[in-house]
Amino acid sequence: MASYILRRLFFLIFVLFGISVIVFGIMMSFGPERRAAAYITTPQQINAIPEIIKTYGLDDPFVIQYVRWIKEISKGNFGWSRYGAMPVWDALLTYLPITIELNLFAAPLTIILGIWLGTRAGIHKNTFIDHVTRITSVIGWSLPTFLFGLILLMVFYGLTQWFPPGVLDDKFIREIIQHPDRFTAYTGMYTVDGILNNRWDITLNALRHLVLPVMTQVVVVVAVLVRVMRSSMIEEMSKEFVLTARAKGASERTVNLLHVKKNALIPAVTVAGWLVALSLQGSIAVEIIFNRPGIGQWTAASAIALEMAPVMGMCVFLAIVYLTTNLIIDILYAVIDPRIRLE
Amino acid sequence: MAKVIEIKDVNTNFYTYEGIIKALDSVSLTIDHGSTFGLVGESGCGKSVTARSIMRIVQEPGKIESGKILFYPDPNKNGEGVDLLQKPESYMRDLRGDKISMIFQEPNSALNPIFTIGFQISESLLFHRKKELCQSVVDDLGKTGNGLFIPLSALLKKIYEIGARNPEALLLGLFSRIPILKRWDRLLKKKALNRSIELIDDLGIPNPQEVVKLYPHNLSGGMKQRVVIAIALACHPVLLIADEATSNLDVTIQAQILNLLKELKKKEISSVLLITHDLGVVAHTCDRVGVMYAGQLCEVADVRDIFENPRHPYTSALLGSVPKLLQKKTLQSIEGNVPNLVNPPEGCRFHPRCQYKTDICSEKAPPMEEVGTNHSVACYHHLSG
Ligand SMILES: Nc1ncnc2c1ncn2[C@@H]1O[C@H](COP(=O)(O)OP(=O)(O)O)[C@@H](O)[C@H]1O
Ligand SMILES: [Mg+2]
Repeated sequence: MASYILRRLFFLIFVLFGISVIVFGIMMSFGPERRAAAYITTPQQINAIPEIIKTYGLDDPFVIQYVRWIKEISKGNFGWSRYGAMPVWDALLTYLPITIELNLFAAPLTIILGIWLGTRAGIHKNTFIDHVTRITSVIGWSLPTFLFGLILLMVFYGLTQWFPPGVLDDKFIREIIQHPDRFTAYTGMYTVDGILNNRWDITLNALRHLVLPVMTQVVVVVAVLVRVMRSSMIEEMSKEFVLTARAKGASERTVNLLHVKKNALIPAVTVAGWLVALSLQGSIAVEIIFNRPGIGQWTAASAIALEMAPVMGMCVFLAIVYLTTNLIIDILYAVIDPRIRLE
Repeated sequence: MAKVIEIKDVNTNFYTYEGIIKALDSVSLTIDHGSTFGLVGESGCGKSVTARSIMRIVQEPGKIESGKILFYPDPNKNGEGVDLLQKPESYMRDLRGDKISMIFQEPNSALNPIFTIGFQISESLLFHRKKELCQSVVDDLGKTGNGLFIPLSALLKKIYEIGARNPEALLLGLFSRIPILKRWDRLLKKKALNRSIELIDDLGIPNPQEVVKLYPHNLSGGMKQRVVIAIALACHPVLLIADEATSNLDVTIQAQILNLLKELKKKEISSVLLITHDLGVVAHTCDRVGVMYAGQLCEVADVRDIFENPRHPYTSALLGSVPKLLQKKTLQSIEGNVPNLVNPPEGCRFHPRCQYKTDICSEKAPPMEEVGTNHSVACYHHLSG
């Protein structure tokens, strides 16, 4: 097992190399002028473009530019994010925690809820429970994220003021800015940092800000998992080992929740893994509606402004996320399914 | 001879999108204690549905509509049988795997792929023999030098004594929820596993200690079928149903399994319902034979009578396709098609393919009629003896 993981991680290096070539190639498909434009901030600098091209070697051969880029990256320099007004690496460290924090709560909820609902719907196939589960999850799925988010905001913030948007109340933000010595940002997630700094009031406040975006995220994503789990349950329920289990005297409960469910979880684990990986690129709609400056917002803004460095940094980051997810899914597979051996 | 099970006019339907499949139409048969009853017929004629109806494990969308399934668990006690169709599900649960158990056709899919062999056999014992297992753990704990810390041993003994008195005790359920005590049943599971090892050892599986730790995909088809048999035999059933238990195995393994069943029949099991489409198997192993066609039983007789003196045109056609008695040969199809069970032919379901048919055959289903000693036929024109 350990050697398998090591080998997979080693393999990851090659995949990353491939991805970096592709990403860099796509960037290079823009002309040098276009790429030089990313360095200028005022119309007056337009005349400086040829000079910028020269200084940064933007019309050098592909290989030379690629090697230069890799060299910079290996020094930790991913370039400059104009939207964030900071280096790309710092921007990642700033925006990513906001997205991770959301998914720290949304992902477990999605997985637990999705598997639970899917299991129930599968067991009670074509009954009232099943129909209700399916209809609600399809509605959740097909309702545009922004619409659902806005409705939630209207009810729980506009009408009742219970769950405000943003990440933290202004008074706390002010306090943190004014007294940076009193509050250390260990993780960049206020819920976690609050605990680490023994400031439970901040944690609670951050949680209040999380309720609506987490709800939105869960409702939008959970339907996929419900569907997969339901159909997987139904498929496993028709297998012959179910008859064997019933014929040896197992109760319906044991049959469904032990024999069937454990088998049905195998495909659901893949989907759950991918849903989590996917959500780490940040849901732009959720982040914009609830005013959470996460990685999704930042990537979108950078892409619109044709900022190469952030987009490329994001591509590399996502590649790592997906590859790691894949590895974790494969390991989980081997844990659940004895037929799979990691070799 | 004392009956073990008596099926009376059982109807089972499947409610599908194409319509109602009348899979069993007034099926009646009786199996005696100590005998092997062979059920034969072409594929799709309702043999498996009959078996599943007996155990009440017909899958969705199937439903047993009417009839009686009378079960007489004890050969020495005469009297009323228990009508299984009137009993609650909990009664059936206790019965399945204990008094009546079943071996399935396809060993590759009959075992759960993600549980160990040991777990799957132990389950049977844990469902039905918890009391005895608890008692034997108590006995073990009573012995000195069981290697456990003394107060712990005393506590465990108390817990198992509760289990030995009432395996469904609420207290035990409660223990199972308390983090440390949760593992009270470790000894119980170990006991069940040891019994499982003995069981598969008896069935001729080499290295039983190792095999219980394996998963189904680690075993060959023949070995898997032995495991399936072990599950079925774990609690010494009164009636064992073998639903084409050897059809999907290759010939040598098939012979081994059949011999094994024959051996077991002698010492372990009281009676067997053997479902097959292999007339050679029937000739070798059965005492009585029932022939099914399209959801109806058309002839029941002692095995000699079926082969030497078939009275139903269908039986005789089936036999006609077997060149020599006692020779291994599966059934060949007969002229015409097996009818669609959504709209089965009126009257005798065999009449469209029957060379002796007359008007009455398509109007009214022929009743089962005694035509010789222990020989009944459902046909207006049964062949002369
Ligand atoms: N799960 C099911 N759903 C619908 N129809 C079924 C199902 N199981 C059995 N049947 C119907 O019952 C009939 C008898 O099936 P079965 O008892 O399995 O035949 P066999 O004699 O080969 O064991 C089949 O023709 C089929 O149409
Ligand atoms: Mg069958």
